[in-house]
Amino acid sequence: MIPTIPAIPFVPLGALADWGFVLRNADYLAGGLAITIALTIASILLGFAAGFPAGLIEVYGGRYSKALVGALGVLFRGTPIVVIIIVMFFVAGVSPAFLAATFALGFRSAAYQSQIFRGAIESVSGGQTEAARAVGLSRLQAIRHIVVPQALRRSIPGFQNEFTIVLKDTSIAFAIGLAELLTRSYDLFVQRTTAVLEVVLFASLLYFVLTFSTNRALDALGERFAIPGGEG
Amino acid sequence: MSDPLLSVRDLRKSFGEEEVLRGIDFEMDRQDVQVLMGPSGSGKSTLLRCVNRLSEPDDGTITVDGEDTAAMDDDDLRREVGMVFQTFNLFAHLTARKNVSLGLRRVRGFAKSEAEDRAGEELERVGLADQADSYPAELSGGQQQRVGIARALAMDPKLLLFDEPTSALDPELIGEVLAVMRELADGGMTMLVVTHEMGFAREAATDLLFLDEGRILERGPPTQLFESPEHERTATFLRRLTDLEAGQHG
Repeated sequence: MIPTIPAIPFVPLGALADWGFVLRNADYLAGGLAITIALTIASILLGFAAGFPAGLIEVYGGRYSKALVGALGVLFRGTPIVVIIIVMFFVAGVSPAFLAATFALGFRSAAYQSQIFRGAIESVSGGQTEAARAVGLSRLQAIRHIVVPQALRRSIPGFQNEFTIVLKDTSIAFAIGLAELLTRSYDLFVQRTTAVLEVVLFASLLYFVLTFSTNRALDALGERFAIPGGEG
Repeated sequence: MSDPLLSVRDLRKSFGEEEVLRGIDFEMDRQDVQVLMGPSGSGKSTLLRCVNRLSEPDDGTITVDGEDTAAMDDDDLRREVGMVFQTFNLFAHLTARKNVSLGLRRVRGFAKSEAEDRAGEELERVGLADQADSYPAELSGGQQQRVGIARALAMDPKLLLFDEPTSALDPELIGEVLAVMRELADGGMTMLVVTHEMGFAREAATDLLFLDEGRILERGPPTQLFESPEHERTATFLRRLTDLEAGQHG
């Protein structure tokens, strides 16, 4: 006997929508959200810690350090994030999964952040470095007191993009079973296939709130440190 | 007579195949104001940059106050030889006061408040006491260049280099910068100035050096070079400058 197929209430709004299911599992999703946030912060920090020096090396480094950093950058930028995360977890054996995901997202982000910083460093006029040297500052002092403070300000817009990308790419941790927001959403809607869209939309809303608020926060940071008289 | 403050002997510098300086010799005594003129590409800026070793000479000897600059630490040399740039090169993220005090703090080891007081005095000297807390982008070109001069003065240099200090300025802003420079000259500062400002050269320079194709073609008191140059090239160049200036100001 052919089972009768019920009409699928695939509409997130209206009488047939199943938002109650989402609400009943809000705690479970909130746990995923916490992991997503923690993973984003850890990855961005690792990306900054590795990417900022990498950007400096790409501008000021010697031949070999430049070549090494350049090659690593190409490798991490040129490999799909799913591959990186799978290699990190299953091949390199980094565990727990949270750490593997942090390494994968963090080093990939470092590869992109290094380019943001490299561009920002190069945009600070060489004349300023020269003037600092002419006053008697060492090369290192000139970089530290003149170039870096201006380069950091100029990296904020690029950094906003990078933050958004990392946040959303934490969902790739799904591939190694890390229970972040999207993994948990998936867990839920395979249980209740009638509420797929509700769950996915709800998760998307959370991602949106996170990206929107951090971007606003970074905007505010940019304004706080803007150099009076224009010229970012 | 004491040793010259600056002595340059057989200075040579090439960039790749191009020989920019082909054996430069000259001296400066204390309180001299020497003006370097010459066609573009004649090596004026390179010469200045070799004196404070922003460019490394290929050959020759430069001594400042009797010391061979090749044997000096860069920061020691640059404390003695200040530089003012064509494009001002102010630190964009710092106020005028901090532009001036940075070197005092980081190079001369002044405490913060001491450095800022001293910076205030230098800014006053160039007529910018009321702009001490402005950022470079809030200042006019002329004001920026005066901050640049204050920044160099704060290090108490024995010699100040000026690399076309007014050529990036709108004509109406040139005067205020030249006025500051003239005051410095009157106050006994030793200055080596690359400029095409004839008026400044005429009134403030003790000597005029005419550079052509990497050599000093002619030198002497400005009146002598302006009125009876020995070389046709000097005459042509200076005549062209005079015509230009007449066109601009007349």
